[in-house]
Amino acid sequence: MIFRTLLLAILLCPAALADVRQADESAGTLNFSAIQAGAKFTGSFKRFQVKLDFDPASPAKGSLDVTVESPSIETQDAERDEILKSPDFFWTEKHPQAIFHATDFERAGSGWRASGELTIRGVKKPIAVQFTLVPAGAVTVMKGTASLKRLAFGLGQGDWASTEWIGDDVDVRFELKLTPIG
Amino acid sequence: MRYGYVAQTLHWAVVTLLVVQVTLGNIADNLPLGLEKLALLARHKSFGITILGIAVIRLAWRWIDRPPPPPPMPHWQRLAANLNHWSLYALLFAMPLSGWLMSSASNYPVSWFGLVQLPDFIGPDRGLKDIFHELHHLFAWFLYALVGLHVAAALKHQFVDRDGLLFRMLPGGPR
Repeated sequence: MIFRTLLLAILLCPAALADVRQADESAGTLNFSAIQAGAKFTGSFKRFQVKLDFDPASPAKGSLDVTVESPSIETQDAERDEILKSPDFFWTEKHPQAIFHATDFERAGSGWRASGELTIRGVKKPIAVQFTLVPAGAVTVMKGTASLKRLAFGLGQGDWASTEWIGDDVDVRFELKLTPIG
Repeated sequence: MRYGYVAQTLHWAVVTLLVVQVTLGNIADNLPLGLEKLALLARHKSFGITILGIAVIRLAWRWIDRPPPPPPMPHWQRLAANLNHWSLYALLFAMPLSGWLMSSASNYPVSWFGLVQLPDFIGPDRGLKDIFHELHHLFAWFLYALVGLHVAAALKHQFVDRDGLLFRMLPGGPR
């Protein structure tokens, strides 16, 4: 049984998936949503790099690296964007990047879970990212989600630390077309 | 002849809410973005949607329980009163709807008292946000003008013509 599952897994996974693949903002979206005053709104990051070194046949050797340029945060409201870039939230002048690094992969439903560490505002916390990989011609579509607590990273200083009007939970959603490096 | 208690209650509820709305809206409009503004606008939106709901109920109720006939007055005054009333009803829809669309366009979706999130009929769009913001303000000016006229006319009937028109919207006595 185990042998058959393994065989099936090997047969179903194209060898190309073993390659190192990457994407940036020109090949996908990185969105987040949070609750303000009881209503969910969505924002996005306009500049980021993703590198996935992952072979489903040997997940233990995999790694996922994401670098997000925090000044590229965009919520379709200039005033809110300024506040998000200010020292009260991302403090983009001092911490221009948010970084995620994961090397721990495990099966999760039809996809994978990558557990790693996310650094925002200089604060490093463990988080997990759920994703699926679907080959589509020359590219591989990587779709996924992650959930985090903004206050754990100090996103919301002073009065903004209150969760009465802005929820603590932030959902991250991404969809990328990964292309092989080289 | 008076309006029924339901119609009267709904009328005065809207009056009270409008006073609150004008106050909240004008304070919030002059605040920089912060928790205070978020909180004031959250309530402003919730009350606004409440007014929209009451406006629907009032129209339905008006159809179920017809308004009493007005006191005798010149034909033009009756026409003017009708025009004013229906314009006020139109504004009770136009104000919250323009605010709702403005909220959607500016990516600050509307929640009714944190209980229900309202759908967005338009996505975030700065151009549309400016348009609905302007409309919301324009409708507010119409509202001030028409409410002023409405109140002035009611007081004129009550205290100059002495035809007891104001009692139609006040409790007490037989209908």
